[in-house]
Order: sequence, then C-alpha cells, then structure tokens
Amino acid sequence: MGRAIVITSGKGGVGKTTTTANLGAALAALGHSVVLVDADIGLRNLDVVMGLENRIVYHSVDVVRGKCSVQKALIKDRRMENLWLLPASQTDDKDAMSPDDMRALVLELKATHDFVIIDCPAGIEQGFKNAIAGADEAVVVATPEVSSIRDADRVVGLLAAAEVPARLVVNRISANLVKRGDMLSQVDVIEILALDLLGAIPLDDQVIATTNKGVPAVIEGKSLAAKEFIRIARRLAGLEADEAKAVGFFTRIGRALGLSATPA
Amino acid sequence: MDLANAAVAELPEDTRPAALLRGTARGLEVVVHARAEVTAIIDAITKRLDEAPGFFKGSDVRIRVEDGPLPAGSLRRLDELAEKFELRIVEVGAVPSKAPALAVVPAPGTLDLEAIPQPNLAAGSVPSKLEDVPTGAVRAAVVDAPAAEPSDAPIALAAEELEELAAEHAPVSFEEPTQTSVPLQLAATPEIELATRTTTGPRFVVGPVRSGVILEHEGHLVVFGDVNPGAEVRATGNIIVLGRLRGTAHAGIGQDVGFILGLRLEPQQLRIGRKVARSGDGDAPNDAEIAFSTGDGIVVERYSGKLPRNLATSI
Repeated sequence: MGRAIVITSGKGGVGKTTTTANLGAALAALGHSVVLVDADIGLRNLDVVMGLENRIVYHSVDVVRGKCSVQKALIKDRRMENLWLLPASQTDDKDAMSPDDMRALVLELKATHDFVIIDCPAGIEQGFKNAIAGADEAVVVATPEVSSIRDADRVVGLLAAAEVPARLVVNRISANLVKRGDMLSQVDVIEILALDLLGAIPLDDQVIATTNKGVPAVIEGKSLAAKEFIRIARRLAGLEADEAKAVGFFTRIGRALGLSATPA
Repeated sequence: MDLANAAVAELPEDTRPAALLRGTARGLEVVVHARAEVTAIIDAITKRLDEAPGFFKGSDVRIRVEDGPLPAGSLRRLDELAEKFELRIVEVGAVPSKAPALAVVPAPGTLDLEAIPQPNLAAGSVPSKLEDVPTGAVRAAVVDAPAAEPSDAPIALAAEELEELAAEHAPVSFEEPTQTSVPLQLAATPEIELATRTTTGPRFVVGPVRSGVILEHEGHLVVFGDVNPGAEVRATGNIIVLGRLRGTAHAGIGQDVGFILGLRLEPQQLRIGRKVARSGDGDAPNDAEIAFSTGDGIVVERYSGKLPRNLATSI
C-alpha cells in the first residue's frame, strides 16, 4: 500500500504544481512508482507543467463517472521509469467530484503505486476538501511572504482538524535577500507556522524556464532547485531526516525569559 | 472503551479515587481529584496504566481536574509519567460543568472538514509537546518572575479606543450574544450560550491557535503557544498567552475589568469589555506585556511580574 501526499498551500501561485511535478519526478528517480493526481478540476495545469498535455484522453472525472478504469486514464511519463499522471478534467468544475470519490480513487491508486502525489487547487473550498480527502499526509508549500504564510497557517489548521499531518516546504527563498534582511528566512517561516521543515527551494530562474518547456527541473538536470527537490524527495521517502524541526514552544518561552541554554 | 467507572458522582466523596482513566474518541482522559495527595494521584494513574502496558502509547491525554486546582507539584509528576508511558498531554483543565457552554469539544467521529477546526484538534498535531521541555525550570521561572519595579506609566498609548468599532464588531453584550464572528469560519461553530454568569474553571489550550480558529471560553483562558494572525481568542475572564499574541484577543466579555497578558503582544486588535484598541505601528518590545482597560481606554504596559492595581479583583 502506497502513501498519498497532498501538496497544498491555500494561496495560489506559490508553486504547488511545480513542487508536485518535481517531487514526483524525484521520487520516481529514486526508484519508487509514483502517480501524480491533478485535483484542480476545471483549471488543470499539472499536465502542462509535465509536458503531457497532448496525451490526455481520459481524466479523473471520467473515472469517477465510470467511463473508464483508473489504469486507463493514467498517462505514463516516457522520460521516467515509474512516473504516471492522472489528469483533471478541464470542462467540469470542482463539484464534479466528492471527497468520497476522491478517497476511493486515491485508495485504488495506492494499491498499485508507492506514492500518490495530489496537486491541490488554491483556496479552501470544495477543491481543497476533495484534494485532502484521500491524503495520508500533507506538504504545505509557502513562499516567504506574509500573505502566503497567513494562508498556509489557515490551511495547516484545517489539515489538523482533518487529522492530516503536515510538513513544510518553503519555496523561492533568495539567500541574498534574506542576508540583506529584505526577506523572511525559512527559520522565520517555521517559527510562525510551527511545522517541521522538509526543505527550502531557492529562487531559481531555471525552474521558470524548464516549467514553461514542460520539463520539471528535476528531469532537466542540475539546477540548485532541482537538487533541493531531490533532497526533499529523499526526506519524504524517509532516506534523510527533516531539514529542521519546528521550534518548540517551551524552547521559545525559555528563550523569551532568557533561560535557554541553546540560543536560536 | 470506558476503562473506569464513570459514575463518580454517586460515590461518597471521601472514597472517590484520586484519579480515573477513561478512553474517549479523542484519546485518553484522566480525571484527577484535586484534593487527593499527589502521590495517590500518581499511584492511581500508574496502576491503571500498568494494567495494560503499551496500550495507550502515543495517545493524547487530556487531564481534567475536579474540585479545584491541581495539587502543587503534581504537574511535573504528571509530565514525568507521560514521558514514562510515552503519552502526550495536550490539555489540562477543569472538569466541564454539566452545561459545558463554551468548552465545547468536537463530537467524536467527525474528522472531515465539516468538523469544527477546533483549536484542541489543531493542538493535537502540534509538535510542541509538554514532554520535550525544560519545563520544570521554565514553569518555576514563570511563577517567580522577578518583581522588577512596577512601571506605573503606561508605555504604549498607541492603542486607540474605537468605541464605534466596538459597537459594530465586538459582540460584547452578555445577554444577547451576537455571532458576528461565526461566518468567518469555514465550518459551523458550535452553538455558544453566554446565558449565565457562572464561569467554568480556566481553560488551558496548547497552541498554536491558527488563522481562522476562534477560541472561546467562559472564564479565564490560557494559551500555551502562539495565537497567530487571523485567529481570535475570546473569554469572559482574562486571557493569558504564553507565546506571541498576533491575532485578536477579547477579554472580559460582558464585564468592565479584565486583562490580556502575552509574552509578546503584537495583536491585530485587543478588546477588553467594550473597549477596542488596535496595534500601534511600531515594533513591540521583546518583553511580556499586559493590556488592561482604564476608564479612558486600553493601556498596554510592560509586565513586571505584578498585576497592575485593581486587576487582582478580576481573577
């Protein structure tokens, strides 16, 4: 039985789809069999980012409606050994599926794959509820911006209420900006969100270039971002320890009172 | 899975056990009899846990105290016990009264999104555990905070009173609770009855209280952890945040006195009774601060280890 991981953020445009594509490719490169599920019904993107757009025949809504089997709707990524995509419908909306449909779909995929990576739509409405329905765990993507962190905090609360454990990926960190004090660092972000950090993806022009070409950075090659995605995939697969633990509450109290033996 | 006889009330008082364990849908619940000896409490719990070693391993534990506050020193012992049996204490509080007006817990079995994003549940996933802690030292320090010179001068008068805003947004009436805050939530909030003035005991919550969560309590409210922006904590009594208060806090609902104490006060808004203040634009000092209402408005000053005059009566 595989693991279902939902990639979510609350806010749009922070890199959920890019993260999904790259983590999927990286996990496949590690030898796992991976299926990527686009849960953004009506605004599908994952197929474009993966460069598999023109091979879609059936999609997840067809599966739910009984038009075809799950296996038939899967598109195999020919560049990788073990990577598949279950695309979303572009002509329906989020109500075309219920959380129960999604749960059944994910359960079926988990039986045949090691990882089911679900690309969650932005927002916290029906699409979000569907996307997290079948998930065993969540990766919350946040950029070091106040608005992104605010939304991520809300999403983490909702995930906790749904009992889905979450870890954090901070996307588009610029070391230079952080050094100059013009950007929040990943430490600032985890201190606010109180989540374990899987990794921090550097701001990298190459990701934009490769994403537009329909080739995930991980498949393309050696950019800094690709390396970090691979590291995160290793952490997801349990091959490495998390980048950083959430800052413990009592550690912080101790620090606030000047008692801490180990400064931050 | 009721492990213990729940009909405590029918027993004569003096034969009540020092501690009872019961399994609930949300984990283990330990009812502690506050007038019992610390050792008796610890022994009773240990005995029950020893009967099924490993069974509760990794469980969340909620400690309910009957008949008053926990006996001195017992929290540390409970922490040690939790560590020994690999349990996780997520909440310590009084036994809910018969009509648990504000201390509502989500119904068992409602785990989907329709369930209330209750801070309790949020707390369940939070990595800040009671046991990974230099707790002893910290707790002692909290209690014996050095009594520096009380600074009588209000240091932050940036807070401005906005009575109109209060009338518009803050449901302050005790008798007619408005629910302006409810539509902000994704899911329905439990019915909240502010009908009586009888307060329940203080409620202790392990944070962080996240955006979108509204935490309410009839009585005093203590949050161990941050209150994040977009979250709201509301109490008819005082509010103490042992972390950063960065959301909105409303203390003393339906009353004139009350205070809000935080290790760092960087709130979006503070409300005490009918008074409202918004945060100033400057950086908050890196000190514990206390906000309370005076006749003129809300005053925020550095917390020196002593309650400002007249506030002691609000406890």
